[in-house]
Amino acid sequence: MPREHPLARVEREVKLAPRQRLDLVEEVGADVRAMQTEMERRGCSPVEARREAIQRLVPTGEAVEQLEDRHAPGLGRWLRADGRWLHGDGRGDRVAGLGIGAAAVLGGAVGIIAIVRPGLSGAAMVLSWALVIVFALLVANLARAAAQLWLHGDLRVRQRRRLWDRHAGLIVTAVALGALGAAWEGYLVLTNTEQVASSALLAWETAGTMAYFAATGLATAIFGLFGWLSISPRLIADQEVERRITEFFAQDRAKLTLSTSASSTHESKGEP
Amino acid sequence: MTQITLSKRINELLVLAVLDSGPAHGYQIALSVEERTAGAFSFQHGTLYPILHRLEAEGRVSGEWHGRGRRRKTYEMTDAGRAELAAGAAELEKQFRALLGLLRGTHAA
Repeated sequence: MPREHPLARVEREVKLAPRQRLDLVEEVGADVRAMQTEMERRGCSPVEARREAIQRLVPTGEAVEQLEDRHAPGLGRWLRADGRWLHGDGRGDRVAGLGIGAAAVLGGAVGIIAIVRPGLSGAAMVLSWALVIVFALLVANLARAAAQLWLHGDLRVRQRRRLWDRHAGLIVTAVALGALGAAWEGYLVLTNTEQVASSALLAWETAGTMAYFAATGLATAIFGLFGWLSISPRLIADQEVERRITEFFAQDRAKLTLSTSASSTHESKGEP
Repeated sequence: MTQITLSKRINELLVLAVLDSGPAHGYQIALSVEERTAGAFSFQHGTLYPILHRLEAEGRVSGEWHGRGRRRKTYEMTDAGRAELAAGAAELEKQFRALLGLLRGTHAA
């Protein structure tokens, strides 16, 4: 089984945008290879030369933190400076997430109340509030993704998938809630045959309420969809760079495997 | 071999001093610092890169990528870097003279 590339752990742990990560692994990777060659030329064994090169050049601990500080996005760098709240254990992120979530719930509630139709049944009101919650969660999800991308600069594949899965689920839920609300209001009127027979106006109002539910659900879903589309260009660009990072490690792993087996042969023969 | 804990300032000046001789890759800078200081100073655990990137961001060195596919980065000192090196060397010389004077005086006492 091939050994892990010495830069793989750094690439995994460093909190930098894909572009910066690619530059870092390419720069350090090229330097490690060149220094290894130079050390071998000076008489070190391949294994020793590689160890020396890695020890000198592969960033760890403090160097990684300094690189993160240096290459964080502008706003993120400002927030990290002088121990401002984003630095450290992520408490700042959680506080911001709660704040955004609360603001979204409040905003959604105000919006629903502003456009709410009189005469909604109890169940319909529950569904309305459920839509408010879905709207708030969509805002919070988008805010989380945006914060990762533009404050931290780094939204990894796993986290990106998790956020998208959640987002897609919320979009589907919004449509479902809208449809359910519309169907429920229609059902209530249709099952009350006396009312239907007595008033054409009531039928008109019912149609309006159903349309209100369907439109609110769809609007929430469309908001979520366009919100995600708005961050998509950056996500696509990041994916392209991440593909290049994967290629870098695939190519270098092949070289590393060759180098390792060559080193083992040298050592078993007692050669330098 | 005596390893000295380097201050940020000394690290920067070491890098600039190496680049004063001409453009170099990161690994060449690291090896050159070790050689030219007879091993008294060395960069370990990738501490060279934050320094290089900071100097580059501040315009005291310029970094340039070469090659396609397998890219490599070369650093070159700028005029601002040369001025910084001259000023920094003079400042350090003054500080070390003062420090050595104090230490020798202490030993003498």
